[in-house]
Amino acid sequence: MAGSTSKTVHDIFHSMEYGPTSSSSATAQAWLESHSRALGLFIDGRFLNPADRQTRTLADTKGDHVCSVVCAVEEDVSQGVSSSAGGLRSWSALSCPQRAKVLLKWASTLGQYGQCVAELSDLSQASCSPASLVRLAQYYSSWAQLRDARLPHWSPRGVVEVVVSDDCPLYSLMLKVLPALAMGNAVIVVPGLSTAPSALLLAQLFTEAGLPAGVLNILTGSAVSLWAKVAHSPTVSSVTYSGNKQDGVALCKTTAGLGVAVSVSPAVGATCPFVVFESADIDSAVDGAIEAAFKKRKEIQWVLCVQESVLDSVVARLRLRMAGLKCVALASEADRSLVEAVVQGAQQQGATLIQSCGPPAMGLQYPATVLCGVAPSSPCVTSPPPWPLLPLMSFRSNTEGVALANHSPHGHAASIWTEDLTLALEAAKSLSVGSVWVNSHSVCDPSLPTSGHKDSGTCTDGGQEGLYQFLQPSSSCPSLSRSSPASLDYDKFGSAPSPAIVPTARCVCVATKFYQQFVGGKSCKSESGGSFAVQAPDGANVLAYCPDGGRKDVRNAVEAASKVQPGWMKKGPSARAQSLYSLAKGLEAKRPELAAAIRAQTGLSLDEADQEVELSVDRLTDWAARCTQAQGGAPAVPQVGSALSLPQALGVVGVILPDNKPLLSLVTLLGAAVAMGNAVVMVPSQRYPVPALTFIQVLQASDLPAGLVNIISGARDQLTVALANHNVIKAIWYWGSPEGCQYLQHTCTGPFKTLWLHSWGPGEDEACWAPTSASLLEETWHNAIQWRSIWIPTA
Amino acid sequence: MSARNPGMNIDLEWVSKVRVNTQAVLKRAQQIQSVKLAKKQWQAAWLLKAVTCIDLTTLAGDDTPSNVHRLCMKAVQPVPYELLRSMGMHERGLTTGAVCVYPSRVADAVKTLKAANSSLPVASVATGFPAGQTPLRTRLEEVRAAVADGAAEIDIVINRTLALTGQWEAMYDEIRQFREACGDAHMKTILAIGELGTFTNVYKASLVSMMAGSDFIKTSTGKESVNATYPVAIVMVRAIRDYFLRTGHKVGFKPAGGIRTAKESLVWLALMKEELGDEWLSPHLFRLGASSLLADIERQIFHYVTGRYPALHELPMA
Repeated sequence: MAGSTSKTVHDIFHSMEYGPTSSSSATAQAWLESHSRALGLFIDGRFLNPADRQTRTLADTKGDHVCSVVCAVEEDVSQGVSSSAGGLRSWSALSCPQRAKVLLKWASTLGQYGQCVAELSDLSQASCSPASLVRLAQYYSSWAQLRDARLPHWSPRGVVEVVVSDDCPLYSLMLKVLPALAMGNAVIVVPGLSTAPSALLLAQLFTEAGLPAGVLNILTGSAVSLWAKVAHSPTVSSVTYSGNKQDGVALCKTTAGLGVAVSVSPAVGATCPFVVFESADIDSAVDGAIEAAFKKRKEIQWVLCVQESVLDSVVARLRLRMAGLKCVALASEADRSLVEAVVQGAQQQGATLIQSCGPPAMGLQYPATVLCGVAPSSPCVTSPPPWPLLPLMSFRSNTEGVALANHSPHGHAASIWTEDLTLALEAAKSLSVGSVWVNSHSVCDPSLPTSGHKDSGTCTDGGQEGLYQFLQPSSSCPSLSRSSPASLDYDKFGSAPSPAIVPTARCVCVATKFYQQFVGGKSCKSESGGSFAVQAPDGANVLAYCPDGGRKDVRNAVEAASKVQPGWMKKGPSARAQSLYSLAKGLEAKRPELAAAIRAQTGLSLDEADQEVELSVDRLTDWAARCTQAQGGAPAVPQVGSALSLPQALGVVGVILPDNKPLLSLVTLLGAAVAMGNAVVMVPSQRYPVPALTFIQVLQASDLPAGLVNIISGARDQLTVALANHNVIKAIWYWGSPEGCQYLQHTCTGPFKTLWLHSWGPGEDEACWAPTSASLLEETWHNAIQWRSIWIPTA
Repeated sequence: MSARNPGMNIDLEWVSKVRVNTQAVLKRAQQIQSVKLAKKQWQAAWLLKAVTCIDLTTLAGDDTPSNVHRLCMKAVQPVPYELLRSMGMHERGLTTGAVCVYPSRVADAVKTLKAANSSLPVASVATGFPAGQTPLRTRLEEVRAAVADGAAEIDIVINRTLALTGQWEAMYDEIRQFREACGDAHMKTILAIGELGTFTNVYKASLVSMMAGSDFIKTSTGKESVNATYPVAIVMVRAIRDYFLRTGHKVGFKPAGGIRTAKESLVWLALMKEELGDEWLSPHLFRLGASSLLADIERQIFHYVTGRYPALHELPMA
């Protein structure tokens, strides 16, 4: 910029160029200076800067030194964790209104120091407008106020660890921290390098707003090993993550087997479709695409999908509008070679470029570039291209547009452009993403609940629904017990062969029944043809032979399930309710058979067995009734426009059932999943499979579509492995061994599956299936759906 | 002025396919208003550019030869020579884009400018300005009279009745006739956007006006309740872009009414630069219809040069 200051009025009058605009960072620099540019930890309401620690340095976009950040070690972690335990006590001692008041006070403190927050986040490349943080604080303070009134059966989880990757924006970090605090948890934040300075400043403001010491502790360092160190502490009750996919996977793998629930929102780096239909306001769509893709470094990557009939006019406008765009600064030399490689690869496949100018020969500048004519298989589409590239694909019909947009492992968000209301809503409903922005993009508000669909997450953020990741049912104990990870050979898990069945002398005198499993609406043997023996309750005799299901049975079941599930979801809640009512009726009709099966299997008295069947009938009726009660809403947001939040089925859910209450647990989980529009692949308890296999008769007589419910019996570990390794299955509900939990946590990361894990030994969970357990039903319901929000700007 | 827009046959299919998303346009307008502009010499240069694009206007019932004379002299030397010299801009003969008056005052303006040896064009509003509610015959006669008196540019108003009732062909025919009546004079078509109802209608009216051969399209007369706003301007310049992409003809844009401050004039320039590119940043494709804007720009330039804000009497009276 040295030359630009010497430009005369005369030169500029002719070139009419934009001049240099510099934003001041004086306030942020002053704050950094007050910490001597060496930021430490924030524990127990105080800044700590322990000596002899490694540090990481943070530079701004120009490469100038901003500050150094301490890397916490074991000692700091234990100090932080014990402070959090104390913080949790004092935070819990406050009433809801008192907690709400602290959050509100923080919002007003934020107003006072907004300049400093804005400058600091800008400087550390984690840009965030203070206004959006104020909105977060105000929204969650209202939930803090109303927690006990609106969520009576729920209590805070305790100490929550919030971790983010280095490239995660500050807003995403605070979108986890504020609801956790509002629900009464203590929070340990491990920020990324870029969010560390702002997080420390915000923590300081929290103390100023009257947050008790220890409720919010910040441990800097941000390496996966630090995350695991914090998670190792038994005080920490859940871990939640936001950031890129790789670090999320690493977090899941290192925390597997700790007995701590981990939820991830890997939105950074997600590919999102930007769909322009022919009925769109093309000019606005092109402006939107340029704004979304090039104006600011964004954490998500866009792919432009344009209907063929308007492709030429979109390309012509892109050319005109992009002619005025300047080159953007890349982060590093490596980024530049990556960008160049992607562009070259695309060109070799015949892509044409739209650029404002050729890339400069040297340096970290690169022009905004649209890659026209790439295919869905092109590497620049499958592995998202880094900034500032935008791949462009075309499609023929509206349906194909949706299919093209859905053809991605990511399910974070989509932007669709059309003036046709029907098309907009239909497309919004058929896109499997968490947020759909109609004729707009990148609208965020904490009142909109969104779940990462497909590979984009395992939890819901925002809205009332987003609060449950920081809550647990008051009545039940935590479903996972803390443990240290076993040394598990993940490749060998579940691969032990089942014992072969050979006729023995004993079999001659007892007529042992052979059961069949239920796949794709047909009862059948296992693909392998094998069976396993089920012991009678006395332990002496073989009660029955059940199919020994395996990987191929799961494959067949998932295939059938995924075929029928979309139609089932579309049927609508009242049709689903009718099917469940008739299923309940069918169960009632078979009551004696099922009671007998339960008795034979578990050795309960006939009365007790009959009671379980009766409860199961009630449970199905209950789910049928709840079908029509599950609904989204139209959250009120401060922006001008209309928002919709819609509950969505997850897709295909795998369920490994517990030993206890073999029938009641089966129908409870089946009812929940099916009521919300999911298909299920259920694995009955290995010990007590007979009631579930008897229940197949009821399913066969029901009007549920064939393939919606599948029941596969067999060795639990073997089937756990089969479910875990099928990528179509979006969620697994697991009752079983701690090793099984560890295996699932470790394995279900690519793509991410939503896990609901229970590592209870036999007998421990009996109470939880009780008829009056309202929070169990609520929790099951939350696990059976994911959320989508649709945003339509209107006056 | 440069090559004129010859117009084309009316293409109703094109007109019928127009779609404008109101909220997206409003959002875009906000973005453009939030574009940060540089200070110091950049601001000064941009402000001088704005001066060259001003159609310095007086459209009042009490216009007389004397105030039109003053206006013309101001248009010829809009920024005091001393100020220009200290910026190195004195050798350009910097003037406003044109002066704009009622048809009856055209002769006065032409006379003054001729006496001052200036080639500055005189623009005249015509065709029943501002309502356009007079018979076509008299509206055409008005145009011919103004041209005969020496007007080089004619600002016509469209017939809002035709636009609001969707009679695009009839509107096209009328504008065509005005264009013929203009002869060599450039034609600026005023859409009176405050009375068109929707953005979609503004876009359609813009297209039809350009098809009929307008050299400029202009937002408003300055006499309606809603004048030049950025969202409407975005709709109109997008229509200009659309027309350019289809036909290759470049049509100019003139926002008018309510533009009073130097800062607003900078936003207008930024809007043109963003939406249409640098080529539209010159008087042959961009005009600002204004009367009091110039005084504020002068004030800012005075401040840039001297570091002080002037008293009113230190700047030449318009």
